[in-house]
Amino acid sequence: MKLPSPRHLLLLPLSLVMLTPLLWMVMTSIQTPNESQQFPPVLPSGIHWQNYTNALHAVPFGRFFLNSVIVTAACVLGNLVLCSLAGYAFARFRFFGRDLTFVVILATLMVPFQVVMIPTFLIMKDLGLIDSLGALILPNLVTPFGIFLMRQFFRTLPAELEEAARIDGCSRLGTLVQIVLPLSGPALATLAVITFLYSWNDFLWPLVAIQSEHHMTLQLGLSTFQGAHATDWTLLMAGNVMAVMPMLLLFLLAQRQFVRSIAAAGVKG
Amino acid sequence: MRILRSEHTAGWLFVIPAVVLIVVFALLPIVWALLLSFQSSDFVTPAKWVGLANYQALRHDPDFRAAVVRTVEYTAIFVPLVVFGGLGVAVLLNAKVRFMGFYRTAFFVPVACSTVATAIIFNWLLDPTFGLVNWVLGWFSLGPYGFFQDPNQALYSVIAMTAWGWIGFNAIVYLAALQSIPQELLEAAEIDGAGRFLTFWRIVWPLLGPATLLVVVWSSINALQVFDEIYVSTRGGPLQATTVVVYYLYEQAFRFFAAGYGAAIAYVLFAAILTLTLLQMWIGRRRVHYTS
Amino acid sequence: MKRSALVLLVVSLVVVSALTASSVGARRSAAPVQVVLWHGFTAYEAKAINSAVAEYDKSQSRVHVTAQFYGNADYALQKVLTAIAGGTYPDIAYLYGSWAANIAKSPKTLDLTKLVQDPSFRYDDIWPAARAVGNVDGKIVGVPALIDNLALVYNKKLFRRAGIPFPTAKWTWSDFESAAKKLTIPSKKQFGWAYVNDASEDTVWRYWALLWQAGGNILTPDGKRAAFDSPAGLKALTLLQQMAVKDRSVYLDSGNDQYAPLFNSGHIAMLYTGPWDLGSFPNVDYGVQILPGDLNHQTISGPDNWVLFNNGAQRSAAAWDFMKWFLSTKQHMALALATGQLPIRRSELKLPQYKQYVKKYKGIGTFVANLGNAKKSRPTIEKYPRISDVVGQAVQAVLLGKAQPQQALDNAAQQVDAILRTP
Repeated sequence: MKLPSPRHLLLLPLSLVMLTPLLWMVMTSIQTPNESQQFPPVLPSGIHWQNYTNALHAVPFGRFFLNSVIVTAACVLGNLVLCSLAGYAFARFRFFGRDLTFVVILATLMVPFQVVMIPTFLIMKDLGLIDSLGALILPNLVTPFGIFLMRQFFRTLPAELEEAARIDGCSRLGTLVQIVLPLSGPALATLAVITFLYSWNDFLWPLVAIQSEHHMTLQLGLSTFQGAHATDWTLLMAGNVMAVMPMLLLFLLAQRQFVRSIAAAGVKG
Repeated sequence: MRILRSEHTAGWLFVIPAVVLIVVFALLPIVWALLLSFQSSDFVTPAKWVGLANYQALRHDPDFRAAVVRTVEYTAIFVPLVVFGGLGVAVLLNAKVRFMGFYRTAFFVPVACSTVATAIIFNWLLDPTFGLVNWVLGWFSLGPYGFFQDPNQALYSVIAMTAWGWIGFNAIVYLAALQSIPQELLEAAEIDGAGRFLTFWRIVWPLLGPATLLVVVWSSINALQVFDEIYVSTRGGPLQATTVVVYYLYEQAFRFFAAGYGAAIAYVLFAAILTLTLLQMWIGRRRVHYTS
Repeated sequence: MKRSALVLLVVSLVVVSALTASSVGARRSAAPVQVVLWHGFTAYEAKAINSAVAEYDKSQSRVHVTAQFYGNADYALQKVLTAIAGGTYPDIAYLYGSWAANIAKSPKTLDLTKLVQDPSFRYDDIWPAARAVGNVDGKIVGVPALIDNLALVYNKKLFRRAGIPFPTAKWTWSDFESAAKKLTIPSKKQFGWAYVNDASEDTVWRYWALLWQAGGNILTPDGKRAAFDSPAGLKALTLLQQMAVKDRSVYLDSGNDQYAPLFNSGHIAMLYTGPWDLGSFPNVDYGVQILPGDLNHQTISGPDNWVLFNNGAQRSAAAWDFMKWFLSTKQHMALALATGQLPIRRSELKLPQYKQYVKKYKGIGTFVANLGNAKKSRPTIEKYPRISDVVGQAVQAVLLGKAQPQQALDNAAQQVDAILRTP
């Protein structure tokens, strides 16, 4: 018990390999522009924090960050609620057209975005939402992947608990909220993280849906540093590091949810 | 709360918000794109109705056929790699060991990095002359390899780059699933004297069925539609070695202004993905055990 | 008390209404027309554009221009096409020259043919190569936004170390080839030359320069068939094969991100590149020379366009008014001075700021002089992207040693002929 687990032998080197992109990004972000234009990469002579402040001032970084936070938070909340509802129904209820609806929902993932970009834009325009954060939130308020994830997860839970609750007079919604969701920590955490990821890193849709700088998201803002002719690597990497941090922090917090849930029969959460 | 009498009503009430959003923002555009596939359009001038002409042209298009072959090859290698890789990593990360939070976050980093940042890094790592990988291989008298620059290696290099991020993604899903396995089952197996491998094979693996289905279906759908990573690294090259179906579509629609043709390609792909997914779900229905 | 208050009230009312009437009248006739301009400039270039726009807005009150950054210019076409389809599009947009033929077909694109003939615009003052890219079959759909050309940029220190005299304006292809060979030192991972080898237009346009230097042409004069599979084309492609495959003196960049840092770190001795890259070489004492030649020293120019869109007669007129001001000699010289972009008008060279400009940007003078060598330009036809794709594949195949020049050219010419034949 005192010996460190042999897992460390594998995990440590693998983790370092996985961290290489982040290390490279951080290293580039603290170099001077001169140093960054070198290859093979040179170690930075000192920590050039100015790149971070420069990146923050070169574009309305705070505004972009806020926009991304608003859009992402809304999408995460929307998904947590709507995917749980829909996933539960697909997992537990038998209703007319259930399987067909599920397949159709899944099928909407099978057409590449480049093809549906323009009609989606037209629909948004008819709703008067172009160039607003609403255009970024609404299409992603619920995602087929999220529904699929929750459905699969709910199906792994033993149904006896829910049946017991129903017999006791609990409504279906009540059963979901009071019995099932407390046992779904890992799945909800996974859904939150993945939704956050897709929303935070989304680039192509915000590119066409947003026209004024005031509503741009962080990813659009980062593309500012990658001009068609001259890429300022230090600013780009500083921006990227700042963009990646919230996700990593969120993940660090969320992965604590990955603890064994108490699913033994008779034990209520 | 009122107890809803009909299960049908309940079912629909629960799914209606999601269905409405998806119909408006996903289904309608897809139908529009289907109509586009029956037209000849360049996005600029008014479109002309041409019926099935685009689809017929596709049947005789050797470039399209080549793109299909490449996409199938890509998917056939990518999916098992990231599914089993993800599972392996999840098993490794599924323990109360010191620094586990750090390890798990480390595996998440490639998932969180944007495609552009990943491609830039891999372009340097795999550079034939200056790349780190060839440098390390040189110590063992291997290489140097062309990787992204070699038509025979480019597709596999792209798979390596994309798998880098996806393994972490699948690992997260598997990790959540592993954490949901009731402790008693594992303890009972231990009491019965089952070794680690047997426990895994007989108890854990079957219970991971639902997660495996999700991961396989999702990885397949994404593999068949891979685009972003190729756009920022090899641009479909060299010598079209990495021109997969969606990249071919993109070129047709946005480089050559043949939007109707691009939409037709999208629909052929759609039909293929749908068929594959239905097959996977059908197999899943028969082989996946849900506890209920 | 009451009466004086009343009088005061009436007087003030009269005064106020008189003032309001005049100002309302003035406001009604002075409400500025809003013009929206989309661009992809970043950093100092963005600053220059924004201050030009601000200056224009301040100088008059009829038109108010808002400059919007649309992201990377690579995505501009998608964004503009989507915007047009959706009905909310800008008045002016920066678009790559290679898209001109296609954007010309949109009914929303403004036809500038009559407008540019306005004598105050002095269209003929603009370099011919820049004018050509906005001209699609006689219809002018764009005015030059950016002009450049390819010249030879070289690392003086590496030349001195190898004991080779600097490139001269008389250099031939064989001078260039032998210098590249001497400057290639595998043990130091040093290459004589670099070439963008991603089969995109970046790969193709460098080859066109070589083709023209050998006296060749891209298409036949009637534009119906390929003309690059000529002895000139073969000579040019063979040069590439000789250098890349046999001499191994060329660093092949799989995109266009790597050659610049490598040049800046002294790993590459010579580049065929444009003025936009000069800012990326702070660590190199570089020199600029016109391209080495065969029958001539022609170069290729890659201009981009400001395209105007129709949002109604009032906005179109306002947008054109801004364009005229923005592209006037004095204004553009100021822009060039701030960004390092090349002058688009010959008259800019006569301004006093031009001397400052040449001093500020090392080597830029050669690029400006080289504009005179940009005698031919790429065909501005709709099918050009397909032609570029075919030729790009051919050049890439030869550079990778996977095809022989003659066979690659014949193959490409066949495909191009087929492309040109379809309606």
